Amino acid sequence: MSLLITCPICGKRNGYEFKFGGEDRGPKPNEDELTSRKWCEYTHMNTNIGGIQKEWWYHRDGCNTWFTIYRNTLTNEEVQNHKEVAP
Amino acid sequence: MLQKYKRLWSKKSLKSSYDAVIIGGGVHGLATAYYLAKNHGMHNIAVLEKKYLGFGSSGRNTAIVRANQRTSENVCLYQEGLKLWPELTSELDFNLMFFNCGNLNLAHSESAISALRLQVTTAQFHGMKTKLIDAKECKEMIPALDISDRLRYPIFGAMYHPPGGTVRHDALVWGLAKGASQLGVHIHQKTEATGIGIEKERIAYVQTNKGKIFTPRVLNVAGPYSTLIAAMIDLRLPIHALTIQAMVTEPLKPVLNYVVSSGAYHCYANQSLKGEIVSGSHMDPWPNYTTQTTAHYIKHQAEALTELMPCLKGVKLMRAWGGLADMTPDMAPIIDGNDPIQGFFQNCGWGYFGFKSAPVTGKYMAQFMATDQCPSILKPFTMRRYENHNLMGEIATPVYYNPWN
Ligand SMILES: Cc1cc2nc3c(=O)[nH]c(=O)nc-3n(C[C@H](O)[C@H](O)[C@H](O)COP(=O)(O)OP(=O)(O)OC[C@H]3O[C@@H](n4cnc5c(N)ncnc54)[C@H](O)[C@@H]3O)c2cc1C
Ligand SMILES: [Zn+2]
Repeated sequence: MSLLITCPICGKRNGYEFKFGGEDRGPKPNEDELTSRKWCEYTHMNTNIGGIQKEWWYHRDGCNTWFTIYRNTLTNEEVQNHKEVAP
Repeated sequence: MLQKYKRLWSKKSLKSSYDAVIIGGGVHGLATAYYLAKNHGMHNIAVLEKKYLGFGSSGRNTAIVRANQRTSENVCLYQEGLKLWPELTSELDFNLMFFNCGNLNLAHSESAISALRLQVTTAQFHGMKTKLIDAKECKEMIPALDISDRLRYPIFGAMYHPPGGTVRHDALVWGLAKGASQLGVHIHQKTEATGIGIEKERIAYVQTNKGKIFTPRVLNVAGPYSTLIAAMIDLRLPIHALTIQAMVTEPLKPVLNYVVSSGAYHCYANQSLKGEIVSGSHMDPWPNYTTQTTAHYIKHQAEALTELMPCLKGVKLMRAWGGLADMTPDMAPIIDGNDPIQGFFQNCGWGYFGFKSAPVTGKYMAQFMATDQCPSILKPFTMRRYENHNLMGEIATPVYYNPWN
């Protein structure tokens, strides 16, 4: 089964039309207090949730929009209207 | 002669403590257990496997072995790994079916030839037989190849690496399990690690679905699931677990005598001893923990294979399957221990290279765990390389940064 992704402009499309943009890491760290450690955490390290995660996608073979969705990494399915629980 | 069926490894009951607990019953975990017992006299070891031995990538890979990587650090390790196959076959008394047919990496542009030149130089520097050949020589070796300019990406030449080939992947899993079990290692299938306990910055126990195990040492070798094991101690890894799909055709008479691969076509293939063309492709570029296959890649594979070798048109694909690859940004593994937690070791991030490297890495990983000293051959693979901006140059393209960071 292939992945379906909902683009905010084009609607539900085949996952192969999109480029995965990484898990959502929040805002870029403040440059004044930036250490190698913090930069590495931000650019390289992943939380790799086994479950529902918020992530970026780019509609490469479509409207060229960047957007976020929720997807369950254990089932490879997009999750609509997911409510985030505060950690 | 047919013999009475004998179990390869014995079933033991789970003890409440072990000197080391290895999480993951793949080739890396089993090799480490085997060498801990064989070379370091550590026999009180448990290997935990949540499903069955070889359920992970160890039972799903395409079993290609070679030692012509891009960087010296990697070549040294894989080179020793390649020499181990005949030795292990006799030591384990198990036919690993090492088929030393040689590998051909096709280049489809001048710049690809230049990139291969670097790999050839590194290999030759380390005494590994490897050379560049032109398109005509490729055709002489594999008459089925189309070297005309009809191809979308015509073949310019290739890197020929005679010492590589294939090994039977299941045989390695079973052989190592048998060897480890005979040396007293406990292998527990259907036993899942669900948590890791830390006391005073040291490993204290592993929680499983079958009870708690006290231990001073844990090895995270859960392959693509290693990210989930690391999360148990709040450690994040620079890994994406991506699906790779592979497939085999119906058996044919001998037509492909080498392992052939093409970066431009995202396709590699070899003919198994049974006659099937075994072929793997590129990865689904989004992380997930499923092993789903898609029509997209079956079509892609059929197109690539029949463009490179037109005589395969009309041949039927028999099976397709998916497995996961734990990809790091610099395409080299993460091998570490006692950092930041004493007693926590990890060996993961092998991506699609971790079959060929398993016995040799297991051997050195066992030394690391038994002595608490990281052997120098493994030192370059520390996870600290990412924060020290000292990534390995295994890939020719820069590390993946996103447009938004
Ligand atoms: C399609 C494909 C083709 C490949 N081709 C090649 C190739 O040609 N050459 C090559 O060198 N490499 C290849 N690879 C890569 C290679 O297969 C892997 O790098 C290697 O098998 C990794 O071995 P491992 O022991 O680290 O992990 P795995 O074999 O994945 O073993 C990890 C094990 O951990 C278990 N586990 C997970 N979580 C838990 C838990 N919580 N508790 C207990 N157990 C757990 C899993 O069930 C699994 O069995 C390929 C991979 C794929 C998917
Ligand atoms: Zn769109």
